[in-house]
Amino acid sequence: MSGGTMLYGGDEIGALVFDPGHHSLRVGYAQEDSPKAEIPSVVGIGAAPDTNLDPETKTDNNATPNNSDQRKYYVDTNYVNVPRAHMEVQTYMKDGMIDNWDLFEKVIDYAYANVIQSEPEYHPVLFSEASWNVRNNREKLTELMFEKYNVPAFFLVKNAVLAAFSSGRATALVVDSGATHTSAVPVHEGYVLSQAVVKSPLGGDFLSRQCRQHLEKHGIDLSPVYKIASKDVVKERDNARFTLRKLPENLTQSWQNYMLQLMMQDFQMNVLQVLEGPFDERVAAQIPTVHYEFPNGYHQDFSSERFKIAESLFDNAMLGAGQLASTSVGMCDADVRLSLFGSVVVTGGNTLLQGFPERLNRDLQLRAPSNTRLKMISANGSVERRFGAWIGGSILASIGTFQQMWISSQEYEEAGKSQVERKCP
Amino acid sequence: MATGIPLSSECKHVFDQIWRLKQHRYAIFRIENERRIRVEWLGVREAGYEEFLADLCRAGPDQCRYAVYDYAYRQQYQGTTGTRLREKLFLMLWCPSQAQIKDKMLYSSTFAVLKQEFVGVGKCIQATELDDIHRDRVENELCWDRED
Repeated sequence: MSGGTMLYGGDEIGALVFDPGHHSLRVGYAQEDSPKAEIPSVVGIGAAPDTNLDPETKTDNNATPNNSDQRKYYVDTNYVNVPRAHMEVQTYMKDGMIDNWDLFEKVIDYAYANVIQSEPEYHPVLFSEASWNVRNNREKLTELMFEKYNVPAFFLVKNAVLAAFSSGRATALVVDSGATHTSAVPVHEGYVLSQAVVKSPLGGDFLSRQCRQHLEKHGIDLSPVYKIASKDVVKERDNARFTLRKLPENLTQSWQNYMLQLMMQDFQMNVLQVLEGPFDERVAAQIPTVHYEFPNGYHQDFSSERFKIAESLFDNAMLGAGQLASTSVGMCDADVRLSLFGSVVVTGGNTLLQGFPERLNRDLQLRAPSNTRLKMISANGSVERRFGAWIGGSILASIGTFQQMWISSQEYEEAGKSQVERKCP
Repeated sequence: MATGIPLSSECKHVFDQIWRLKQHRYAIFRIENERRIRVEWLGVREAGYEEFLADLCRAGPDQCRYAVYDYAYRQQYQGTTGTRLREKLFLMLWCPSQAQIKDKMLYSSTFAVLKQEFVGVGKCIQATELDDIHRDRVENELCWDRED
């Protein structure tokens, strides 16, 4: 290693760890126990000022809409969640990968300026990635970090590998259920067996849509908290009494949908639960109900429906989690199958739904060859379950000897972005 | 994936002593200061599996370790009552579930180095609970591979 070793040699490493997901981007310093910030993976895009909506800003000579981007971008909860006229909300992720690079850069800029509060050129950067990330995308990220942010060193690790390692396994089947999809990724001796990765679009967002449909069908008013000015205390199942806040006109549909989705996420994490076996009305009805109060003050108990909605995650007609996992194992060599069944690592925010690991265990046991020894590993704390990959990256990047693994800026200059394929398997 | 933590020559030497020279029954390794892998315990040739387990856990129930064990067991010939003595070397990744996440990460991500350097290992075993490394279970796993 040469040049700039001082910056990240020995124990002086001030490496940064970024863990992008569909729900949020986790950002923080290596060696710390949890990320400094969790920035939502969406950006609010304001209207261009030259649309003549505001008569005070005169549109003068250089204000042609296309020659420079004059739109305002809003990043992070405190800015995105504010009602603003004409502000659209858009995500930069697609299928587990970074897709809209312009928006992504806005978020990285924000992270450096407001979370890290330091210059990018002083900190090596470790990124996690989806196990099915494609070469083009990996190279693009490498290029972006070296060319735009001038980082001294860069590394890219598959999030499933980090999840397996942080639960003390070099070989494991990583079942990750996140916002937009659930995936089963076999890791063997620290490497992803990419030909056996299986994924389905059943994730947290799918549940949110189900919840919304269910509640709307039952005539429950879904006014998110931003609409409410005041509310009265009402009796259970009584109509809500609340007054509406005065809001800017022209709130976009994308923003309203996003706010509704946040509300549904809260609902599903508090109310939904997974049954131990396939959904059975009689079994579900015997389990204590859960009380939930909506932002407008309406409140009621939820009973069997909270199991019925969650059941869709295990719906085998739609590649439920158990089927997903067993399909993935079945695509691996016979001699690793036993080890994979013996270490099923359950991770992702969606698996925090009460009963998720237990149900997966049951469904998988039914599909595994008889007398297979099955073992589910899931971190106990919700922090570990949500930030498992980030925490793994944080530890990895802080190991002294790991400095020789980084792609240094010098190596990048000499060999270019293709280094990422060579150094980061 | 690796962490860049090297295996000391002492480790390779000890492995050779077990694998070729049959001088020890087992060896237990630890990562020292996140920098290198060192030999922590050696088991004499006559040592039994129980002694191995005791040495493995000697540092505490929350400590991760690596181990190499030259396991001898009797295998029955198929369809007969005759048995023969077999020896098989296994390499173990021991990350007890109550270990710190940092140690789990360190040991599991460095495991590849041992696997690569210790040529002659017949089986890799990863374990997080004593239950996983009970004698019967280990023997079962060793017998399960039918090759050689």
